[in-house]
Amino acid sequence: MRCSDVEALWDDVRTGQEPRSERAVAHLRRCKDCQAVYEQYEGVAYCLTCLPIVEPPVHLVPRIYDHIKALRNRYRSKLSDSVARVESPLGTLWVAWRDSGITFVGIDRGEDEETQVASIERRLSRPVRVVQAPDWIQTAVRDFFATWQVDMSRVDISGLSPFEQAALRKAAQIPPGEVRSYGWIAREIGHPQAARAVGQAMARNPVALFFPCHRVVDANGALHNYGYGVEVKARILAMEGYVKTGR
Amino acid sequence: MTANASPQRSPEVPSVDRFERIVDEFQRRLYGFALRMTGNREDAEEIVQDAFVRAFRALGKMSPEQRSELRLQPWLYTITLNVTRNRLRSKRPTNVALDSLADPDALLNNTQEGPEQPEQVVERGTDLELVEKALLQLPMHLREAATLRFIEGRSHPEIAEILDQPIGTVKSHVHRAVRILRRILGPEVGRVVKAEEPINAV
Repeated sequence: MRCSDVEALWDDVRTGQEPRSERAVAHLRRCKDCQAVYEQYEGVAYCLTCLPIVEPPVHLVPRIYDHIKALRNRYRSKLSDSVARVESPLGTLWVAWRDSGITFVGIDRGEDEETQVASIERRLSRPVRVVQAPDWIQTAVRDFFATWQVDMSRVDISGLSPFEQAALRKAAQIPPGEVRSYGWIAREIGHPQAARAVGQAMARNPVALFFPCHRVVDANGALHNYGYGVEVKARILAMEGYVKTGR
Repeated sequence: MTANASPQRSPEVPSVDRFERIVDEFQRRLYGFALRMTGNREDAEEIVQDAFVRAFRALGKMSPEQRSELRLQPWLYTITLNVTRNRLRSKRPTNVALDSLADPDALLNNTQEGPEQPEQVVERGTDLELVEKALLQLPMHLREAATLRFIEGRSHPEIAEILDQPIGTVKSHVHRAVRILRRILGPEVGRVVKAEEPINAV
């Protein structure tokens, strides 16, 4: 083994993981030059391990936390929907939206903001941020109460199941001031046995008013149920010009 | 994911939700590493901040499978190294180390005839400032190898993973770094150490 080979093996020899160690050690025993080199290499390694551990400044971790917090917020705002209170002839509404369209419409329940926002978040299964309503949201609400109809391209119910979406889209075809039964929707969307499931889909409608689940009633014309109370359902239908003609 | 149970305890899968824990665990180590690599506290501080931000972003884009397979420590070293390289490249285009990268022999000759004579090393004993400076005189790739090996105490395979280099290259860089450091610090470096205390293998 040549001296240069032995020198190159120094770090392997000291960690004892080199199969050629034995030959290198044998060489070292009789080579003063290599011994000196090994000693000096050890000196270098030792000097490096002696370098003091410098503590980071105390503000380092808080600063990193701040960066992370800012990133999280930015990330969140991309995921989250915006929500705003909008005044309407029916009282205050909560309207949530994202780039793809309006994702939630609900009637203010008079509870504190935190509770209502939490229930919207639960309904949408994602965080929402309370902001001021932009013009297009105000306009959408105003237009709805003027025409009782909505530009469906501005509403996003893509988070719902295909069945729920089909049921709601069918409900949206009921003309304002008229009602249809749960069974009618079930038949229309090709699931004649699923009247009860239609009822559940209406109950889970995240976009109240705009998807007019209030126009869907019992087979015998009874208003049946409404997320905000049957009286509110009756009131909306009355505002639309519905006159009960049934038995 | 838990199908093939291993005898070792499974470490927590890194995630952005619990990223603060990662910061707490590694900030000292990465700061120390960046400081040795740059020799500058402000740089080290900025590098560590950038590195954690990059790590956070990267982690946020990974699938759960990728995260569970991630080897956190080498990965963080790699990110820190990349940030360090970028920073040194943009900040000091005429860095000593970069000059010597172009002509390592010039570095050796310079330091032999330079102000730091071997006697001074002996006189000042373990003058650690000299060691710090010597390390900073190394070309970047050799400084990386030496710092990871002797200051961070990483094994050859670990360094190979961090630097994404073959083990042979790592060993060769470590050896070249030590050879140059020996020349810079002078032949008496061994004697200084011997007078102090026995050498502990890293």
